[in-house]
Amino acid sequence: MSKESQMRAAINQKLIEMGERERLKELLRAKLIECGWRDQIKALCKDVIKEKGIENVTVEDLVAGVTPKGRALVPDSVKKELLQRIRAFLAQHST
Amino acid sequence: MKMEDMSLSGLDNTKLEALAHDVYSDLVEDACLGLCFEVHRAVKQGYFFLDETDQESLKDFEIVDQPGVDIFGQVYNQWKNKECVCPNCNRSIAASRFAPHLEKCLGMGRNSSRIANRRIASSNNTSKSESDQEDNDDINDNDWSYGSEKKPKKRKSEKNPNSPRRSKSLKHKNGELSSSVNPDLYKYNYSSGISYETLGPEELQSILTTQCGVVSEHTKKMCTRSALPDSDTMLENDGYDAADGQLIMSRLQWDGSSDISPSDSASSKASTNNSESKRPKKKKKPSALSMSSSGGGGERDKGQERERDRDRVAGSSGSTSSQNALGLPSRKKRPKLPVPPAPTIYDDLN
Repeated sequence: MSKESQMRAAINQKLIEMGERERLKELLRAKLIECGWRDQIKALCKDVIKEKGIENVTVEDLVAGVTPKGRALVPDSVKKELLQRIRAFLAQHST
Repeated sequence: MKMEDMSLSGLDNTKLEALAHDVYSDLVEDACLGLCFEVHRAVKQGYFFLDETDQESLKDFEIVDQPGVDIFGQVYNQWKNKECVCPNCNRSIAASRFAPHLEKCLGMGRNSSRIANRRIASSNNTSKSESDQEDNDDINDNDWSYGSEKKPKKRKSEKNPNSPRRSKSLKHKNGELSSSVNPDLYKYNYSSGISYETLGPEELQSILTTQCGVVSEHTKKMCTRSALPDSDTMLENDGYDAADGQLIMSRLQWDGSSDISPSDSASSKASTNNSESKRPKKKKKPSALSMSSSGGGGERDKGQERERDRDRVAGSSGSTSSQNALGLPSRKKRPKLPVPPAPTIYDDLN
């Protein structure tokens, strides 16, 4: 629905303007490193590389091979915390 | 619906939640993408697989924990006892001494030019004093040295036993002739600590017949330059010997027993004895030897004595002015020293 999409666009814009998006990004990155998610994904990347060969591997190969698993591998705690912060922001700034 | 209405109140929670999830997904995807870019770059730059070395290579670089050896397995003083061959002088030098040796050998260190200048100055002094006493004035201004010829080499070797530089010509970094005092001082380091007070008259006699005997005012040591008879001047001295031998002997005996300070009076005495030793590099005038009788120490200042030393004229110290004029053909040296002190000793004799 257009209203929804408008809403979405508005929210995203606000997130960026207020710097909240950057803060959320940094928070997520730190948490993922802390919980070992990063190393897991790196190991996945190694497999893709060995499969495709060092010389021929491309970014697209890596992204396509790793992102779906990456999303699934995020621990629940991290996910919950992040969602909580986003909701708080929405509640605070939606009016 | 107004587009500017940003309120979420119209939306139900599910949509809100969906919105939140979307934001979250975007964030996670950003993280994944970032990681992929990093990995891809590491692979292409070649540092992605660095932590996967094989066991053999790992063993090569294991930490060593043995005594006498550092953690890399290297011995600490392995090269201490090795000997290096100097490319300049082709001598075999110990490794720990190699750098200082090279410095001196090539003439390029901080001290090398100083030492070279000193050597040259001293060798100039020795050669000059042998051949021409008169020209020593400018070089050995502060000292009594005749340039003891046998000593310079020994003296330098005390300082630097490994130095090969005696035969080399070295460039002078600065124009200084290192102070004439220093080399001259060294010349007398070896000389015996003889003081005229301690020696008996017979010993004095024997010493003074073979050596100069002049006590330097700077080092308070006796000049041990040997008495070299010179055929030219020997003839002139014959008369002197006969006439004043007795006088000198008596004075000598008296001198040995007296208490003499190392300053002027000592040198006066020394000069007297010196004349007695008939060592005539220069021409000795018979009249000059009546110095003893004159008694007045008017000329008996240090400058006079020094000149007398150089010129080998005996009578300068105690003699009258006339005698001095005769006895000292080339007295270039000006008496730097102050006027003579009261020569009470000779007064008594007279």
